[in-house]
Amino acid sequence: MKKSKILIIFGVIFVLGLIVYFPGRKAARSHVNYITAVDDHPLSCTSCHVYTSQNKWVSKMVNEDYYSPFNMVVSNDGSRLYVIAQDINELMVVDTENENVLNKINVGVHPHSVILNKSGKIAYVSNEWSDNVSVIDLVSSKVIDTLKTGNGPAGLALSSNEQFLYVVNVFGSDLSVIDLSTKEEIKRLTTGNNPTGTALSPDGKVLYVTSRRANMVPYGEPLISDLTIINDSTKTVAKYLGIESAYMMENVAFTPSGDLAMTTLIRPKNLITSIQVERGWMMNHGIAIIEQKEEGRVVQLLLDEPNAYYSDPFDIVISPDGKKAFVSSSGVDYISVISIDSIRTILAESSPKMLKSFSNNLGISSRFVIKRISTGANPKGLTLSPDGKRLYVAEQLEDKIAVINTESLETIGSINLGGPLRITVARQGRRLFNNAGHTFQNQYACYTCHPDNHEDGLVYNMAGKDMGRNVTNTQSLREIGGTAPFKWNGKNQSVYKQDGMRFSAILTRTEPFNHDDLDALVAYIVTGIKHPPNLMYNPDGELTESQIRGKEIYNRSVDNLGIAIPENNRCITCHPPPLYTDLKMADVSTLSDTDDPILFDTPHLHNIFSSAPYLHDGRAETLEEIWTIYGEDDKHGHVNDLTKMQLNDLIDYLKSLRSPLYDDDKSEVQHGTYIKSN
Amino acid sequence: MENKGLRKYSKIVAIAVIILVAASFGFKITGEHSLDSNSNPIIEKSKAENNDTSIEKTFDINNVLNEKSSMPIYGNWRNFTSKNGLPGDKAYCVRIDGERVLVGTHEGLAVYENEKWRTYTTKDGLAHNGVLAIDVSEQTGDVWLGTMGGLTRWSTGKFENFTQMNSGMPNDLIYSVICDGKKVWVATGGGAGQYDTHTKRWEIFTEQNAPMHEPWTYGVCSGDGKIFIAAWGGGVVEYTKKTKQFRDYIDPDGNMEIDLFPDDGVVHDITTGVSWADDYLWVATYFGLSRYDGVHWKGYFDHDSGLASNFINFVKAEGSVAFMCTDKGLSSTDGNNWITYTKNDTNKNGKAIITEGTKKTELAMTPSISHNFVIGVDVKDDVIWVATSKGVSRGELLK
Repeated sequence: MKKSKILIIFGVIFVLGLIVYFPGRKAARSHVNYITAVDDHPLSCTSCHVYTSQNKWVSKMVNEDYYSPFNMVVSNDGSRLYVIAQDINELMVVDTENENVLNKINVGVHPHSVILNKSGKIAYVSNEWSDNVSVIDLVSSKVIDTLKTGNGPAGLALSSNEQFLYVVNVFGSDLSVIDLSTKEEIKRLTTGNNPTGTALSPDGKVLYVTSRRANMVPYGEPLISDLTIINDSTKTVAKYLGIESAYMMENVAFTPSGDLAMTTLIRPKNLITSIQVERGWMMNHGIAIIEQKEEGRVVQLLLDEPNAYYSDPFDIVISPDGKKAFVSSSGVDYISVISIDSIRTILAESSPKMLKSFSNNLGISSRFVIKRISTGANPKGLTLSPDGKRLYVAEQLEDKIAVINTESLETIGSINLGGPLRITVARQGRRLFNNAGHTFQNQYACYTCHPDNHEDGLVYNMAGKDMGRNVTNTQSLREIGGTAPFKWNGKNQSVYKQDGMRFSAILTRTEPFNHDDLDALVAYIVTGIKHPPNLMYNPDGELTESQIRGKEIYNRSVDNLGIAIPENNRCITCHPPPLYTDLKMADVSTLSDTDDPILFDTPHLHNIFSSAPYLHDGRAETLEEIWTIYGEDDKHGHVNDLTKMQLNDLIDYLKSLRSPLYDDDKSEVQHGTYIKSN
Repeated sequence: MENKGLRKYSKIVAIAVIILVAASFGFKITGEHSLDSNSNPIIEKSKAENNDTSIEKTFDINNVLNEKSSMPIYGNWRNFTSKNGLPGDKAYCVRIDGERVLVGTHEGLAVYENEKWRTYTTKDGLAHNGVLAIDVSEQTGDVWLGTMGGLTRWSTGKFENFTQMNSGMPNDLIYSVICDGKKVWVATGGGAGQYDTHTKRWEIFTEQNAPMHEPWTYGVCSGDGKIFIAAWGGGVVEYTKKTKQFRDYIDPDGNMEIDLFPDDGVVHDITTGVSWADDYLWVATYFGLSRYDGVHWKGYFDHDSGLASNFINFVKAEGSVAFMCTDKGLSSTDGNNWITYTKNDTNKNGKAIITEGTKKTELAMTPSISHNFVIGVDVKDDVIWVATSKGVSRGELLK
């Protein structure tokens, strides 16, 4: 070919390239600007089209199978550590001397806690997403039994005589009492809302159960979360101890002498405007101390400092000598070391009025926190060696166990569990999600209001400068990738916008995420958060008779009188499967006086049973109330012709709705992400 | 003249002495215990207030029932009203719960413990002050309160309310509540309801899905793997827990107010209560009492038994004995023998009428039960508590 022809061909290609490039780039710019709601985000197609992909092969390339150690326990002789690897459904057996993993035992889905019996030969592992407990013979390292529990087994404890196993059911908000001789659940006791942690007192008389959510109250009333106290001999609830203005009580521990119980907690300021973040008034983090005597006091002390908050306290353990307590501040990657004698002094020297004021005193921690020890990403479960000389810390997003000398209070080792070395974009996003470092004074992380990537059950006053005056119910973040727009009024067209500039302006009150961090956060939120199975109302996809009747009502086009229901007032119109949202705006006549006049974003309905309270401002405490109290005008679906039985059927069906991925034979979980086989 | 006068006066004196002696003797018989309510109120010969010569009188309680009788006799009544601790006089129900007694009144829940009353109302968290029914879960110790405005779970000081607005419960007007393992059953003005405390799910039973005449239900009890529902106008509705199947028992005579053919079925379709014990189902109606042994029905009426009245508000069976709360007193029976406790209209005293076959005996009770309009009863060990329209009464087992 002549040289001139070649030049002409290249010239044409170049011109065509220019013709495509400039408008194409302009279109891409416009697209990226729309998605990110800013005009300077790099034009990187991979940000959205690779890292958020749910394609099997793409997901395999960009993600990894992390272990995510969560809770753990140490053997009686201190030589073994049994670690819950939550994301791979395993119990890992770790040699503490050689600091290596000896064995991995498959357990149920999404294991939560592990305890040992007194002999140290049997381990019990709660499987939060299987509704059972694995009983493991530690000599053979085999699961020898599986015990059925309530919904969402989490914290575990054995009765003082070891004949009964107590299982805290986090989703069911109750406690299963299992007779270990018959392996049957003999009773289920009602606990506080969303319970998790539990501990038996040293004298074996009472069992404490924490709760993470506050009791449901109308917006405006102060919060109270219950510590449930159970009599070990009668196995009945002895008392619900209300902890005022607090929630997220994750774990509880007793001093060896039994004079004090201590639980972690968060004090949310949801009744004042969110702009108060700047004044250090959004979230505080601390502990409650419960004196174990007649008329014993309940005192709350903050772990925070004036300009450094220690967000999301998770676990608490107390040294065998009763001198120190250790709290994992999982939102800031620190262990707070507490002098219990100092706390006793505070209790002894302070008047009731002073003690009450300490619950909001940022300076009080200087009187009892003796050290802050830095850890790897997202410290969760803690356990002490039998002699109390070593503290082990589960670094959930590091796949490591930190080893701390409890006398020198220095980190002396790190046990690598063998997880992937590469930190993927979504993993980085998860770290950001769980870390409070991007919020003013480290007041809170995304996780704080979205525990377990869900929602905290609270209603917040989101009013801020030029931001309206709306009271809003926290929304779940589970599987929201395909449900844009976001925010109750649909003002955010993407997670980028939701968590970008707007997020920093309204909530974190500090620098917005940089582009890479925002890409990572979005990748995690869009791909890494999945719904738990709906084992309570739809364990296997087979609807009950009531749910089938409810589905017919959901899909109906004529009412009980045979009159056609307007299309825009049928359930199925605005909430069509598989997402159960048409992704459009609607007026359901539930604007309140303080709301800006606007339409509502139609929410998806997956696992709706677990998202109380309901409606944009959380005014409906139950699904029933949406239509009994707040649906009188028939604008939120045509329902007023329904009998009570029909309404029950409809709600039974709504409660059965679950992630469509559980119904899809081609779906599977990889890297903590649901993906579809092609 | 003097002798005549003396003789005349001596006659007057003699008559006066006789009258005084007779009066003092009579006072000793009838008046002594009214001054001391803590003394033994029975074993006194009652005065027949009518001309029924078949009623036998005795001083000795051991002569009241034969040795083989299983019928318990209660006495030593203590009465409580708004004047001594109750929030109101109208008591709807009573439940003995260990060392304490729970009383549902029109003005709230009254709890009697350590000789003291404490009241809980809507201010404490109760769904409604009118507490119509109470049961206690054997498994969890939770107290379930059926009120005029919803169902309340009272668990060691914490109140949780279920209403027709915030839950799947059929209706807020709850006449009866029972705990059956992990399930809680209610009889309401809008059907029967079953709540599963594990799955937190309600199931409703009305005339739409069960053999009921209308959704109005008055009573519910469990026994023999079944749930029995007293359905207004629908007789007794039986629900077999294993098969989840219903069947009904209605009056073969229809809604006639007389029992045309004796013992052919439940005595009337308008049933007000059911209770199961010792393989017997006892059914209360406003037209008499029925007993069912799984094969045969037996009817009891005020004219052919010791039943105080055919108008029965509530029935509670304990062992082989059933206690019927009627508008004319409290009756108890083992199917053969009867004891009815009533109060006099004019004072706080009353009597127990014991019927053994054709033999009737009356015992004076000083005091007696608080009022004859009896609405609720509970029995445990040696103690009986009775809820009436004017206070509650506590009786002790005498024999």
